[in-house]
Amino acid sequence: MDILGGLGQGFSVALQPMNLVWCVVGCFLGTIVGVLPGLGPAATIALLLPLTFGMDPTGGIIMLAGIYFGAKYGGSTTSILLNIPGEASSVVTCLDGYQMARKGRAGAALGIAAIGSFIAGTFGIVALTLLAPPIAAFALRFSSPEYFALMVLGLSLVVVLGGSSMIKALLALTFGLWLTSIGTDLFTSQSRFTFGSSFLLGGIDFMVIAIGVFAIAGVLESIARGEENTPLPVPSRMRDLLPSREELKACRFAFANGSVVGFIVGVLPGAGSAIASFIAYGIEKAVSRHPERFGTGVPEGVAAPEAANNADSGGGMVPLLTLGIPGGGTTAILLAALVIWGVKPGPMMIIESPQVFWGLIASLYIGNLVLLVLNLPLVPLFAQILRIPLYVLFPMILGLAIVGAYSVSDNVANLMLLSAFGLLGYAMAKLDFPPAPLVLGFVLGDAMERAVRQSLTMSMGDPAILVERPIAAVMLGLAAAILVAPPVLRALRRRRPLGVA
Amino acid sequence: MQRRHLIASGAALAVAGLVRPVRAAWAPSRPIEFVAHNGPGSGPDLFARALVTAMEQERLLPGRVQVANRVGGGGATAMNYMMERRGDPHVLGVWTSLWLSLPLVQAEARALATDMTAIARIAIEPALMVVRAESPYQTAADFVNAARARPGQVRQSGGSPTARDALVRQLLMANTGARWAFVSFPSGGERMAALLGGHVDMMIAEPSEAGEQVRAGRLRVIAQVTEARLPGFPQVPTLREAGFPITDVVQARGVLAPPGIPAEAVEFYQDLFKRTSESPAWQRYLADNQFQGAWLSAADTAEFFTTYQGQLRGILAEGGVRLAR
Repeated sequence: MDILGGLGQGFSVALQPMNLVWCVVGCFLGTIVGVLPGLGPAATIALLLPLTFGMDPTGGIIMLAGIYFGAKYGGSTTSILLNIPGEASSVVTCLDGYQMARKGRAGAALGIAAIGSFIAGTFGIVALTLLAPPIAAFALRFSSPEYFALMVLGLSLVVVLGGSSMIKALLALTFGLWLTSIGTDLFTSQSRFTFGSSFLLGGIDFMVIAIGVFAIAGVLESIARGEENTPLPVPSRMRDLLPSREELKACRFAFANGSVVGFIVGVLPGAGSAIASFIAYGIEKAVSRHPERFGTGVPEGVAAPEAANNADSGGGMVPLLTLGIPGGGTTAILLAALVIWGVKPGPMMIIESPQVFWGLIASLYIGNLVLLVLNLPLVPLFAQILRIPLYVLFPMILGLAIVGAYSVSDNVANLMLLSAFGLLGYAMAKLDFPPAPLVLGFVLGDAMERAVRQSLTMSMGDPAILVERPIAAVMLGLAAAILVAPPVLRALRRRRPLGVA
Repeated sequence: MQRRHLIASGAALAVAGLVRPVRAAWAPSRPIEFVAHNGPGSGPDLFARALVTAMEQERLLPGRVQVANRVGGGGATAMNYMMERRGDPHVLGVWTSLWLSLPLVQAEARALATDMTAIARIAIEPALMVVRAESPYQTAADFVNAARARPGQVRQSGGSPTARDALVRQLLMANTGARWAFVSFPSGGERMAALLGGHVDMMIAEPSEAGEQVRAGRLRVIAQVTEARLPGFPQVPTLREAGFPITDVVQARGVLAPPGIPAEAVEFYQDLFKRTSESPAWQRYLADNQFQGAWLSAADTAEFFTTYQGQLRGILAEGGVRLAR
């Protein structure tokens, strides 16, 4: 297969004026959708789908892919400025992004998010172009035992994510694991912890928890500390609104780490970009020279998850385009769209519809560039939002959080859950429980439980299946290393004479 | 204000002869809310929107139909909503097999489709029994024999225990005495990835999921889980033809309304959806998704609910699934 020739043909398709217009339109819409919390890319694409029926398939899929990529770009904006995660994948960005904003570095954080998104997005697309078939074959070797190991690896990051007290971090994690078990059990069709409520049969939506424990709890905490009259420092000089050279330099490894982790996790069907951003953040903190400063507003803490969730988009395209398997909700709708246009996504697509295939890939390159050009000038503009006095900004945050939680499923019951999680988050903050492990447990718990039960069904109850497969064994080894490393390092350090770093 | 405007424009169109409203003793007097139990882009949502599109294209619409996604509780929110709107003829809902199975296993799901007003059954989704191309199983009998020889070691990937693939497995196991493992995955993509990766041996998939893999030579169809052979796979026998006399578990979709709506309204909607399901636009939707048209009138659909639920109850009880009612 001639990749260069195909790509050349793809660019000639994607650069046609009309297709370029659709690409820009899609990127623009995607950015808006990303900025608005609650409304996700999957719902947007589904709602716009009928409008594209009259379009030429290439133009249509280019626009929809623009939305898919754009939403990941825009998701960081409210995370950083208002502590409201715009998408599930930008929850981790809240941790350091919002703290940067409070220190007057909102512009820098937004700029880093945009640049990181561009670099990782491009990495993901290049990897998609060059490696799609072998990577897809690798993804198929991943099965339940490997997913279990991946989730254990993710959970082991609680060691680095937790705050001062490991006990409190573990308690928060366990609570998150419990929350994720609420709802209908896939394996038996029985309900768990629904307390007789039919609404809870479907489980709790991740966004409701994230918006509650971050945005609502954050506002309550600030009010309790009487911060509403202190203005946030917003630099007036244009240059100070963009990331400084030192900040970008500090992010170099984070960009690479996020790109690779995001792409690999993105390729796996059913893993999800929230997992990718958590793992990238955890790795970043684990290898950092100053892990204690994470969570207080370090640029790497924004760069790693934002890079990861954008590389994830490219990764998610791999099983979709080479195997016809959608990895998540958004790619499932892209697949439905392709079918409606008469393109058959799957192993034959590259042979039978090369124009759509390569046109789409080329448009991803262009779309990524369009998104950078679209987003960077908006950075100083968005940063100005923080000039609004906090006593005006806080009600706005609460309003936006409520709209976001409601639009997850247009259901009032979610607002009650939102209030409950807001209060829970506030109580946790007062008692010095870190919120990140709770969210981590919720994101990974469900997938981990499924993976264990699937594995044991496959092995007829023999737990050896979880450790004997090579990929799983390597990941479990890594997880063990992460768990064991801090106490061992501490012991080693104690033996050295004081004063040596 | 907006509604009056809509009705006015509807009336103007009707006067201009652009709309052919279905003639009946009852007609909607305001926009109709069409409930889908899942979010935009999901199966029931696309089904509802495709029906509305077909109505619009054929100009069968007497007014406006608005798709409303009432998501939550794994379908229970939408079902509860239908019960709450008792007597309101301007609310419709898309029902799927889930509407019949959920209340059987969930005590919390108190709204029963059998208590609502059935309008129509419109389509059924056929299924295929597929294995990997490298697999030694050439027929369904090969698979069953292997499972009988090595109980529990042969695996099938699928959804929840109330889904069609699990029900067909229960019936086949009861019929043959063979036993094999059923590995549940939440999404079709994960089920297919597990099969393609060789982590499971068989899957009962919809033709739209498996068709491309079959065409690319990665999967082989060993039996059809249908009443009659599908036009796309004329060479492959149905399960019954292959010597497994099990009853067909149909996965169906259609339209229902809240309980207690006037008989004239039922008449009206039955006629409307009958015409819609015969339209070329709808036939195209069926073909694109490889569904089969399977029209049942309101009365027959109500009967279908009862028989299907009875069949389901029997299979689930035999499979050891705890029933709530």
